[in-house]
Amino acid sequence: MEQLAIHQYLVDYFTAGGCQILECRPGFLKVKLTVALDKLLMNRPFYWHYIEKIGREPETQVLALKTVQTEEEGDFIHFGSPRLHQIFASTKNLARYVRLYEERPASGKTQTPLYPWLGMNVKVSFQCNLKKDFLFSLGLNLFNGTILNHFQEKLESLPLTPKIPDYCYTLTPMIKPQSGLRRLEAVIEQVIAQEDFRWAEEARERLQNDLDLLERFYEDLDPETYGAAYEKEKQSLIDLYEPKIQTHIINGGLFYLTEHAMHNF
Amino acid sequence: MMRPRISFDDTWYPDFAERMENDGPWGDFQLYKLAYRAEKELLLPDFSDLAAPRHLPHLELFPHQIETAKTVIEKMHGKAILADEVGLGKTIEAGLIMKEYMIRGLAKKILILVPASLVLQWAKELNEKFYIPAVPQRKAYVWEQCDVVISSIDTAKRSPHAEIVLKQDYDLVIIDEAHKLKNHKTKNYQFARQIKKKFCLLLTATPIQNRLDELYYLVTLLKPGYLGDPESFFRDYRSGKNKVKNEESLRRLVNKVMVRNRRVDTGLKWPKRIVEFFEIPLSKEERTLYDSLNTLRETEFVQGFSLLTLQREACSSREALYMTIKKMLDEQASERTRLHEIMAPILANIQNATRHSKAEKALEIIQALNGEKVIIFTEYRATQLYLQWFLKQHGISSVPFRGGFKRSKKDWMRTLFEKNAQVFIATEAGGEGINLQFCHHVINYDLPWNPMRLEQRIGRIHRLGQKEDVHIYNFATKGTVEEHILKLLYEKIDLFENVIGELDDILTRLEIVSLDKEIEDIFASSESEGEMRIKMDNLTSVINAELAARKEGEADGTTCDSSVFG
Repeated sequence: MEQLAIHQYLVDYFTAGGCQILECRPGFLKVKLTVALDKLLMNRPFYWHYIEKIGREPETQVLALKTVQTEEEGDFIHFGSPRLHQIFASTKNLARYVRLYEERPASGKTQTPLYPWLGMNVKVSFQCNLKKDFLFSLGLNLFNGTILNHFQEKLESLPLTPKIPDYCYTLTPMIKPQSGLRRLEAVIEQVIAQEDFRWAEEARERLQNDLDLLERFYEDLDPETYGAAYEKEKQSLIDLYEPKIQTHIINGGLFYLTEHAMHNF
Repeated sequence: MMRPRISFDDTWYPDFAERMENDGPWGDFQLYKLAYRAEKELLLPDFSDLAAPRHLPHLELFPHQIETAKTVIEKMHGKAILADEVGLGKTIEAGLIMKEYMIRGLAKKILILVPASLVLQWAKELNEKFYIPAVPQRKAYVWEQCDVVISSIDTAKRSPHAEIVLKQDYDLVIIDEAHKLKNHKTKNYQFARQIKKKFCLLLTATPIQNRLDELYYLVTLLKPGYLGDPESFFRDYRSGKNKVKNEESLRRLVNKVMVRNRRVDTGLKWPKRIVEFFEIPLSKEERTLYDSLNTLRETEFVQGFSLLTLQREACSSREALYMTIKKMLDEQASERTRLHEIMAPILANIQNATRHSKAEKALEIIQALNGEKVIIFTEYRATQLYLQWFLKQHGISSVPFRGGFKRSKKDWMRTLFEKNAQVFIATEAGGEGINLQFCHHVINYDLPWNPMRLEQRIGRIHRLGQKEDVHIYNFATKGTVEEHILKLLYEKIDLFENVIGELDDILTRLEIVSLDKEIEDIFASSESEGEMRIKMDNLTSVINAELAARKEGEADGTTCDSSVFG
């Protein structure tokens, strides 16, 4: 992520978070935090505890961030900054669930039907003593069962609003969201099945190898004395090498979209 | 091929269901997009390659450090001995590996065990250079509540800490100065062995490859069973008391768990070491004082090694000598003992020896440097104090430095030196754990008898980050014990040209436990100057013969067995 992109990201973040932008120029940003973001980012629980106890109007902090070194004021933010990672992490907490409607210019007096979609961004990790990730963005039409990949990119090209627009109505899902979730999981499983699993095989070989060494090492030692140590070390090896696949749902939600949007996908 | 089972995230749906039920609250779509964007940025599309350097734009990483991190993670599966030569950045390598595992979410709970004097330095480096929120252990709750904890092993192994530490499930354990764990009989080793860990890094500055004991137990700490059981290991690889056999096979084994970068292999352009020797004639009064110590040889009070100590002190400063004599006298029952009688003329000579030839030489060098910074190493506190006074008389500001200082004081003294003083006067123990790359002149006011200590001194400034050539000025007083040492260690063995690590290997091969001990023995046991010279010459020639053999081996491309793991 280049410095320029980081700056833009910060601007988008604080704008979306409803903060007042005090100064903004290339390489520099100064914002007045909202109460919510102050609590989330500034780590001052005692202040908030105190203010809330005495019932006084809180004074939120001003945050200055620079993305070029030449600016004098502010924390320097780059891809490794703890502050940036804190912000990254907070986006997930702030927006793990959404419900949105597509907004189309009304065509006369006719009511436009909106199709319910379950959208989901999922990270899949292959893990042994090494790790590798995949990102999936999937959408499932809960009315007719259509499944789309790269759903997020498609959503981002649509005008979306949190309130149902005039002259629109939502179609009732034929698939319940919970079974929709299962369907999407099944899709992920199918796609993953195409992957190469030598990594898992190799990790199991390593595990077996090290377990054999361990066993031989303890073979002649008295189990009364060394049994617990052996079990502990064995478990450590399993924890280290045992191949796993895990999914993590970054965020997801319900999206009510026009038929028109679906045709353009 | 068997595919691992997928465990699906089941934390998302319950809250989602609740929000559908309650008609909200729903998140903002901008933030929703930003969360996806962040995740995309943080994605790790490959098992291999390091993600960490991208997170550390300020850190200047050298190719051998990146290579080491990759090797440890990809080939050694995160269990390794890092045994680089001094000054190549082992802590940077360890930090880089740790950071990589943290970024990949493979390590969260991390324990770092280091010598007590280095706890704060590690904390500072990890926080500032790697943005790793490592916490020095001060309160008992830290073990359980903090993810990355730094502690001394001496604290960690004690009750009540030990019980808590052994209950933790660590993803990564790092042990600095791991050679200090020595062998399986020590409490420290036993403790380290019991800690539950997935990944493990052992850092050591001394080349352990030919010390079979240390090697065996360190590798066993990493991978129990990898070198088999002790009995068969020592049967297969030890010949005689301390020698290694079947080196080729041992090397192959050990190379899979140990990385040892050497300066010569890094391909980096190192600043040069420019070494000058000064044989300094004593003043008449100093000579008289030094020679009068010989009268002690005949007495029952001072023999062998103690005499040598007094002689070495006399070479440093009369103040250093005086402190020791005074202490000896204070320990006497009365003020009119035989020892007082014997010492009286020596004390008178101390009174008279007002000039310090070495100090004058040092002053001359310092003045010629036009304000460039200089570090002076001496073995003695009394000399340190004297020098500080002496330099002040000549308008030169200096900062004293001792190993016993608290970390905060060390840092403060270092800053004082960098900003306000021209000279930094350090006693021996002050050398460890402090980096002074901004200076490139070192005066070895007294030469240590242990070459490893000399290397540590020079390593403070001759390291990555030093931009200038390093000047080293070695002092030895003419016609004294120092001259012998200078001749032996620093001229005949040519210590400054030969890498210290190699010398260490050779000593091990020759079954010489420690060179300074060996020399002390020669001094203590020789009846005459002549006998001493012959013994010293013998020692030198044996060492040099080994060195030459190695060089030959390297030149004709055959593997040089004493650097088997290089």
